[in-house]
Amino acid sequence: MKTVVELWVRLKVVDLVAGTAWMTLTEKLDFGDSLRGLVRYSYWRMEAEGASAGAVVDAIDRAVRLDSAFTNQNKHLYRLRETGGAGAGDLAVEEDYPVRATGGGELRAVDLLVREKRPESEAAYAARLGERLEDVRILSMTAGEVWRIIVSAADDAAAVGLAERMAVTRSRREGLLLNPHYQRHEIVAVGPVVRKEGDR
Amino acid sequence: MRAVGRKAALFRWNDDPSLLAGAAAIVLPGGFSYQDRIRAGVVAAKDRVMDTIGELASAGIPVLGICNGAQVLVESGFIPGIHWERVDLALAPNVMADRAGYYCAWTHLRAEKSACLWTGAFAPEEIVPVPIAHAEGRFVADDAAILEEMERAGQVALRYCTVRGEIDPSFPVNPNGSVGNIAGVCNPAGNVLAMMPHPERASWLRQVPEDLDGPWGRRRRAAAGEATRMEEEGPGRRFFASIPAGKGGSR
Repeated sequence: MKTVVELWVRLKVVDLVAGTAWMTLTEKLDFGDSLRGLVRYSYWRMEAEGASAGAVVDAIDRAVRLDSAFTNQNKHLYRLRETGGAGAGDLAVEEDYPVRATGGGELRAVDLLVREKRPESEAAYAARLGERLEDVRILSMTAGEVWRIIVSAADDAAAVGLAERMAVTRSRREGLLLNPHYQRHEIVAVGPVVRKEGDR
Repeated sequence: MRAVGRKAALFRWNDDPSLLAGAAAIVLPGGFSYQDRIRAGVVAAKDRVMDTIGELASAGIPVLGICNGAQVLVESGFIPGIHWERVDLALAPNVMADRAGYYCAWTHLRAEKSACLWTGAFAPEEIVPVPIAHAEGRFVADDAAILEEMERAGQVALRYCTVRGEIDPSFPVNPNGSVGNIAGVCNPAGNVLAMMPHPERASWLRQVPEDLDGPWGRRRRAAAGEATRMEEEGPGRRFFASIPAGKGGSR
């Protein structure tokens, strides 16, 4: 059975890269009023074939636990799950939104995936994972870094527009998170931030 | 810079940028600005000091970026500088045969015919051995027209080549997969150069490895055991000697 699985990995200690990105976007670029939170994930999305969806997820779970190219349990938290299909990010399952400030406007989260244009690194991940799997075959692999960009925006389209302006480096004064000469991006998910009780 | 008789001073990125006034030339060295977070050079490119360096570069002051300094210049849009401050290039992760990540080795560079001030002391197509040490040094542009314009305008100042000067695109002659074997790019005016190799690590003969092919290797082997000769000029020093003597640093 063909199954699409997503692996989300983030640091369980302070993420200095995300902190530096936050500082740069809010203090050196002009997003101090609109950027409300920033989280960075390593991200893999793979289509795999196995006896059942559950068997695929279980086998991949065992494999990624053992391989530091995917997870290192000394420093990472991860979530592995079957998804409805490519790009089916689900903001509602995320347990924390590190929102730095409140203020006016509705908060929306944009999950922006940054990938290299060359496919070789994704193929290498597929091969590496495949070596650890016996009854499951990796059919395709997407790998990159997801930036969860939380912004104050009136609607999803405005939120995506803001996130792309923060991400895509067009000039010295525009964009930070990817260089379009060798990287590309896709929007994995966008939607309102669901504030839980106890959130600031 | 001192080895070629210039007065030189260190300037920290967070010093008062006005102290750069009066500088005859600026060198952004290799290093590890912001620990390469997000992407090598991109955070430093947004620093306030780059406003001042951009103004000085626009006024014709020679600016050399070496390795991480080159990455900062590319992410600043000062290189290639066809559209000032627009990011028209990337220094992407190395692409190498059967390996990935950081790579450190001596390479041979061919000084191309260009208007670049920093290579002015080299003869056209002179072969210059200089070491590299980087993980993100692959010049690449999404827009072929940018590369064509760089070539047409003579902005490609340095290419990786064999010891005989042949442009071989395969590893290890091209050590990082750079398009066109590009190792260094200057702006249209020729006063700003971004180069991934480290000329400061080839400024004395004693820095040249004993087993290097070509005339510089032979010179180094001939000097073995002679301390005075080992202090002679190395192949990279002329990058710095190319800059006309000016008033010197302001500090």
